[in-house]
Amino acid sequence: MISTSELKFSYPHSDFHLVIDQLTVAAGCATAVVGPSGSGKTTLLHLLAGILTPDAGQIVVGDTPVHSLSEAARRQFRLKQVGLVFQDFELIEYLNVLDNVLLPCRIGHLSLDTATRQRADVLLERVGLSGHRRKSVTRLSQGERQRVAICRALLSQPPLLLADEPTGNLDPETSAHIMRLLLETVKEAGATLVMVTHDHSLLQQFDRTVDFAQFLSKDAPLAGELA
Amino acid sequence: MSFGQSLYLAFRSLWWFRGRAVTVVLCLALTIWLPLTVRLLLNQFREQIVQRADSTPLIVGTLGSQIDLALHALYFDTVAPQQTSMAETRYIDETGFALAIPIHVSYRTQSVNNQDGAPIVGTTLDYFEFRHLQLASGTGMAILGDCALGAAVAERLQLGPGDHVLSAPKNAFNLAGDYPLRMNVVGVLKAAHSPDDNAVFIDVKTAWVIDGIGHGHQGLTHEDKQLLLEADDNSVTASAAVLPYTEITEDNLASFHFHGDPDTFPISAVIAVPPARKEQTLLLGRYATDRAETALCVKPTQVVEDLLSIVFRVEQLIWISSLLSGLVTALLLGLVIMLSVRLRAKEIQTMNKLGCSRFTVLKLLGTEIGLLAVLAVALATTAAWATSLVAADSLRSLMF
Repeated sequence: MISTSELKFSYPHSDFHLVIDQLTVAAGCATAVVGPSGSGKTTLLHLLAGILTPDAGQIVVGDTPVHSLSEAARRQFRLKQVGLVFQDFELIEYLNVLDNVLLPCRIGHLSLDTATRQRADVLLERVGLSGHRRKSVTRLSQGERQRVAICRALLSQPPLLLADEPTGNLDPETSAHIMRLLLETVKEAGATLVMVTHDHSLLQQFDRTVDFAQFLSKDAPLAGELA
Repeated sequence: MSFGQSLYLAFRSLWWFRGRAVTVVLCLALTIWLPLTVRLLLNQFREQIVQRADSTPLIVGTLGSQIDLALHALYFDTVAPQQTSMAETRYIDETGFALAIPIHVSYRTQSVNNQDGAPIVGTTLDYFEFRHLQLASGTGMAILGDCALGAAVAERLQLGPGDHVLSAPKNAFNLAGDYPLRMNVVGVLKAAHSPDDNAVFIDVKTAWVIDGIGHGHQGLTHEDKQLLLEADDNSVTASAAVLPYTEITEDNLASFHFHGDPDTFPISAVIAVPPARKEQTLLLGRYATDRAETALCVKPTQVVEDLLSIVFRVEQLIWISSLLSGLVTALLLGLVIMLSVRLRAKEIQTMNKLGCSRFTVLKLLGTEIGLLAVLAVALATTAAWATSLVAADSLRSLMF
C-alpha cells in the first residue's frame, strides 16, 4: 500500500508547488493519474520513487518510510522495491536487449545469478522478444523498446511499478497492446501500478483514477492538491 | 557496481562509440609515443656510440673537425675527412707507443638486388683482432681483391663466400677516375652488433687498387708497337689501349703493382691502440707537440662526450615540445570528456533514476577513461618498442 500525508514539494527557483493532503493507493491496485501538463504528475511519481525528496509530509510505500530514507537507502529502495517505466523508454543505446533488462542488476550491486538471467529470459519471452535478446535496442521498433523497458522494470519483481506516460510515444494499436501487457504483467506479479497518462481512453482499464486537474490551486496555477 | 560489471559496461560503451574511442586512443598514443620513442632511441644511440667510442683508444687523422674524424673512423659512413697518408701509420709504429691500424673508407659497393651498397673499409688484419671480429663462414682475406662481409651486409645483399661485389665509382661521369673493382667474397663475419656488421672489409692495398694507385695490366714488351707510345731501356709509356684489369684473379695477381712511395699512399684515419694508459698519454703528448701542425690525435670518448652534450640539448628541446603538446592533448581530452558527459547526460540521468549512485556513474566513466588510457599506453609502448627496433641505426645516420 502507498500512503502520503501532508505532502509538500517545490522546485528551487520555481513557482511550482505540489501540495497533497492525503493520497492512498491500495496494494495490487492499478491507478491512473491524469491531469494537465505541469500539474505535478511526474513529480508525484518521482517523490513516490524516492528520486525527489518532499519538503514536508510523509510517503510510506509498504512498510518503508520513503521520505525519511537517506539517499543511499532511497537508491536501494528504487532498485529493489520500485520498477520505473518512462515515456521515452530511456534504454541504454550501447547495450543489447538482454543487457538493458539486466542493467539494474549490473549497476546496483544486485545478484546477477542464473535465476536472475532466467527471469530476464522469461520476461522477454512473455513480451515476445525472446528472439531479440542479443539485438541492439536501436534496431527495435518503438513498441518493442517499451516492452524492453517494462521487462527492465519488472526484473527485480518490485511490489510497486511507476509508469510515466509509457504509451505517450506510441501509435494507438501499439499503445493498446503495451497497456494490455503492462496490466496483465502487473496483475500476474501482484504488484501495485501507478501510471501517469494523458490518454483518457485507457482509464477504464484501471481500478482507480486520480485527476490532478480538479485539485489545481488558484493561487499556484501549477499546483495539485489531493484529498 | 563490481569492477567486472563496470569493465563490461565500459567496454560495451567504448565499442558502441568506437570511432570516438579510436580517435581518443590514437591522439593519446601519439602524444605518449613521441617522447617515449625519442627517449628510447636516444638511450640506444647513447649506449651504442659510447660503447663504440670506449672500445677505441685513439684516432689519428689530418687537422680538421674532431667529430668528423672520430665518426668517420668509428662508423665508416660519414663523408670522409681530408685524407692522411701511410706516413702516419709508420710514425706511430716507430714511436712504439701503439699498434697502428690504417682505415681507408672512400668507396661503397654497388647496389645488389635493389639493395643499397655498403661502405668498403680498407684496413689490415690487425683490425679484426682489435675489434674481436670472427668469421661466421669462409676464410679471411688472403690476397688482393679478397673481401669479408659484415653480417648485416651479407644478409641484406644475400651474398656469401664465392660471390662477388663491385665497388661503386665515386663519380660516374669522370672517365679518368677510378674504375669499379670486382672483389671476391671469401668470408662472412659473425654479427658484432656494431657498424662493422654493415661494412665490407678489404685489405688496405686493395683499396689503393680501387684508388688507381695500384693496378694490374697485360705485360708489355718492346714488340707491342700498338700499345707503346715510348720505350727505352729503363721505362715504357703505354697507350690508352692498354686496359687495366678490373678483377684480381690468381692468373693476373702477379701483374698487380703499385706506383709511388708507400708513405704517400692515402688512408682516412689511423686507429692507435696503445698497450697501456702511459703509452696513450705519451702518444697524445707527441701529437700535441711534434705533430700538432700536421695531424690530429683524438680520444673518441672525449669527442663523443662533446657530441652527446649537443644531443642532450636537442633532447631537452624535444621534451619541452612534447610536454607542451601533451598539455594541449590533455586539455583537449578534458574537453572531449566534458562534451561526452554532456552528450550522455540522459543516460546518466536514467542510471540515477534506476538507482545508480553518482559515485557508480563516475566509476563507470573512470573505467572508460582508464580503458582508453591503458589502450593508448599499450599502443604507444608497442609502437615505441617497434620503432626503436627498426630505427636505432637510422637515427645515428640521420643525425650524422
